[in-house]
Amino acid sequence: MAENIVNLDEFQMSDDELFAPVSRDELESEKITAPRYSYWKSVFRVFFKKKINIIVLSLLALMLIFAYIYPLIIGYDAAVDPYLNLRDSAAKHLGPGEAIEKFGFNIKWILGTGASGQSTFDAIWYGSSISVSLALICALINMTIGVIVGAIWGFSKKVDIVMMEVYNIIANIPYILLISVVVLILSASFWSMVFALTVTGWLAIAYFIRTQVVIIRDREYNLASRCLGTPITRIATKNILPFMTSVIVTLAATEIPSYISYEVFLSYIGMGLSDMSLGKLIEASQNAMLTPGWEMEFWSPVVVASVIAVVLYVVGQNLGDASDPRTHM
Amino acid sequence: MSKYLIKRILRSLLSVVAVVGIVMIMVYSLLDKTAIFSKDPVFSKMKSNGKQIYMMQQWEQYGYLDYVPYADFMLELLKSGQIDQATYDGAIKFGDKESDDTGLVKEYVELFTKTYDAKGYEVERLPADMLGKSKAYKDGGEPKLYAYRNVPVLLRLWNYLTGLITVDNIHYVQEDIADRGLTFSLYDPAYGGEKFSPCIMGNGTRHKYLLYTDDQFPYIHQNLVKISLGTSYSINKGVDVFDTMTESQGSFAYSTVTYPSGAVSESADNIHSATYVAGSLETGTIVTKANYVDDYTNVTTYKNGLSKMGYSFTIGIISVILSYLLAIPLGITMALQKDKLLDKLGTIYIVFIIAVPSLAYIFLFKAIGGSFGLPTTFDMEHPTWLMYILPIISLALPSIANLMKWLRRYMIDQMNADYVKFARSGGLSEGEIFTKHVLKNAIIPIVHGIPGSVLGAMVGAIITERVYVVPGAGNLLTKAINAYDNGVIVGMALFYALLTVVSIILGDILMSVMDPRISFTTKGR
Repeated sequence: MAENIVNLDEFQMSDDELFAPVSRDELESEKITAPRYSYWKSVFRVFFKKKINIIVLSLLALMLIFAYIYPLIIGYDAAVDPYLNLRDSAAKHLGPGEAIEKFGFNIKWILGTGASGQSTFDAIWYGSSISVSLALICALINMTIGVIVGAIWGFSKKVDIVMMEVYNIIANIPYILLISVVVLILSASFWSMVFALTVTGWLAIAYFIRTQVVIIRDREYNLASRCLGTPITRIATKNILPFMTSVIVTLAATEIPSYISYEVFLSYIGMGLSDMSLGKLIEASQNAMLTPGWEMEFWSPVVVASVIAVVLYVVGQNLGDASDPRTHM
Repeated sequence: MSKYLIKRILRSLLSVVAVVGIVMIMVYSLLDKTAIFSKDPVFSKMKSNGKQIYMMQQWEQYGYLDYVPYADFMLELLKSGQIDQATYDGAIKFGDKESDDTGLVKEYVELFTKTYDAKGYEVERLPADMLGKSKAYKDGGEPKLYAYRNVPVLLRLWNYLTGLITVDNIHYVQEDIADRGLTFSLYDPAYGGEKFSPCIMGNGTRHKYLLYTDDQFPYIHQNLVKISLGTSYSINKGVDVFDTMTESQGSFAYSTVTYPSGAVSESADNIHSATYVAGSLETGTIVTKANYVDDYTNVTTYKNGLSKMGYSFTIGIISVILSYLLAIPLGITMALQKDKLLDKLGTIYIVFIIAVPSLAYIFLFKAIGGSFGLPTTFDMEHPTWLMYILPIISLALPSIANLMKWLRRYMIDQMNADYVKFARSGGLSEGEIFTKHVLKNAIIPIVHGIPGSVLGAMVGAIITERVYVVPGAGNLLTKAINAYDNGVIVGMALFYALLTVVSIILGDILMSVMDPRISFTTKGR
C-alpha cells in the first residue's frame, strides 16, 4: 500500500483544481454493490475446486469417447464384427498376449478374444454405448416425469390421497414381472426396454420428490410467501425448485448407475436386451469366469460396467454437493 | 391406535387385491396365450385338430378359459339321468362334417350349442381332417366339438381370492365313505400306538391327520387350514406355490414308519400327510395294498434338505442379523469420525456398493472366496456350514453399506440440530448428548426397516441364489416368468405384496413403540 500513497504537492495544483464535487444520486445509492452472483457459475467453481472431480470427469469423458466415438471410428457393425472370426477355431478365447501374437498389434486385441473369436475390446465399448444410452435416456425420462408429478403430488392434498393409493399398488407389482411382460409383448429391443423401465419407474422418484416437497412446503418462509399472496406456481418455481436442485442432482447421481446395474441384472436372469449390451456380454461370458485363461472375457465387461457406474455416481454426487448453495461460501 | 390400524390393514389388503388383479390382467390378458407352448415338447408333436384340443386343454389348466368338450356335456346328461345309455351311445358319435350328423346327434348338438351359447360360451366345431381322399383320419384329425369361454378377470380374481384359504371338513370326500367324522387319539397310530402323542384324525376329510404332534419344530402340526396361492403347471407340476416354497428338498430321509395297516418298514413316507385319493387302494400297487387300509394313500416324503424358503431364510436371516450388528457400530463411528480416515474409507465402500452392479461384486466375492478355498456352490447332499458363508457375505455386505449410509446421514443431521447445541450449551457432556439424544433419534428410521429386512429374508435373493446355486425361493418368480407358469406368478406376486404391506405396518408400529412422539392417530399438518 505504501507506494500507492501519492504526495499531492507533486502536482503543484490548488485544491480546487484537484477536486470537484460529485452530485448525489438517490437512485445510484440504493444499488447494492456486490459482485454479480451467478448460480451455475458458482456451482462449477465449487465443483472444479476439488482436484478429484477433474480427474473423474476426464475419466468419464475418456470412457464416453471410447463408448460413442471409438466404434464409429473403426466402423463397428454389430451385425458383422462379432462374427468375423467365427470359423477360425484358433481365434477363440484367446488371452491378450495370444491375440496380439496371432493378429498383430492393434488396440482391439489388447483384451483378447471371446467365444466366437470377436474382439473383447470392441465388444465392451459397443456394449457400453448401449448401456450408457439406456441409462441416460431412462434417467432423463423418469427424472422429468418424476420431478413434475412429485411436485404436484407434494403440493396438492387431493392428488396426494389418490397418488398414495396408486403408489401402494404399483410399487407392489414385481418389477421383473412388469419388465418381462412389456418385453414379451413388444420384443426385447432397446426402446421397449426403455418403455419397460420408465412405465412405472418414475413413480419411486415422484414419491421421493413428494416427500421432499412436503418437508419444505410448510416451512416459515413459504408460509410467509403464501400469506403475501404469491401464486403457488411462483412458490414452486422460485422458492422450492432452487432448494430442490441439489436433491435432484444427487438423485440423478444414484439413478443413472442404477439403470446400468439393473440392465446387467436383467440380462443375467435372461430378461434383458437383445442387443449386445454390457449386461448381455457379462451374461454371455459368465462361464468364462471359472475357466483358466478365459477370465479376461468375463472380467473386462464387469470392470468397464463398474467403472462407468462409479464414475457417473461420483460425478453426480459431487455435482450434487456443489449445487447446494450453502457450499458456495 | 387400534382403529387406525384396522383401517390401515384393510386399506393395505385392498391394495394387495388390486395388485393381484393387475398381475392377473398382465399375465392372462396382455400376454400372448400361445407363448406358453413355445417350450412345450408335446405341443410340437401334436397335429391338426389334436393340436387345437391340446391347446384348449392346456389353456384350461393354466386358467385362461373354461373348456367343455361335447363328450363331457353328454356324460353329464347321462350321469344326471336326463338321457339313457342308448341315447348317449347314439348321440355321442357326431359326424365328420355337420351335414353327416344323424337326427339324434343333431338334436343333442343343438342342445349343447344352445346351453353353452346362453352361458356366454363360444361353441366351435372342427370338421374331420382326412388323409387325402381315403376314409382314414390324419394324425389327430378326428372331428371335434367343444365350447369355451375366456374367464373374466373379476371372476378369476374372485375365484382366486375365495380359494386362498380352505378349511378341511368331513364333507370333502364326495364318494360314499363309511363313518364320516373326526376321531381324537392320545396315542398316534403312526408311532405304533404306544407313544403318547395326541392327534386328531378325520374320515371324509381331505387329510387323514388334521392335527398331530411330532419331534420336529414346531412340534404341533396341522392340516386343517390350507393356504393355496396358486397351482403350478410347469415349475413344479400340480403343486401349490406355497407348498413348493415350504416343502423340504433333497434326498429321501428314511426312518421307521408304522403304516395304517400295522406294517412297519424303513421308508421316507410322511404318514401324517396322507390325503384322500378316490379308489387309490383298489388300483394301488401291492405295496400300497399292504401298507394302507383306506383311500388315504397319497403321502409326501421326508427329505434331508430344507425347503426353498428354509434355505433362503437361513441365509437371509443370518445376513440380516450380521448386517445390523456390524452396520450400526460402523455407521456410528463414521458419523463420529466425520471427514477422518475411517469415514473416508467407509464412504469409498458405500460408493462401491451403490454404483457397482450387484452382479459384478457378487462375482467378485465368489472369485475371492473361491481363492480362499471356500465352497462356491451349494450342495444339499453334503451340507457343511462353510457353503453358507459366501452367500451370507454376498447378501450382508450390500445391506451393511446401505444401513451405514443412512445411519451416518441421520447421525450427522441430528448432531447439527439445534437441540444438540442447546444441550451442549446447557453443559451436557459429549458422551451424554451422544447416547441420550443423538443416537436415540437417529436410530428410529433404522428401526423402521427391521421388520422389512426380516420378512424380506424369506423371499430370497435372485442373483445370490443363482450365482451360488442355492435351492432357495428367490428364483421362483423369474423361473415362473420364463416358463409362463401363471399360477406361480400370481401366487408369488400376492406373497411379495403381502410381505411388503405387513412389513411396512410392522415397521410403523415398531417405530411408534420406540418413539412415543410418533403417533398415527392424530392427523399431521
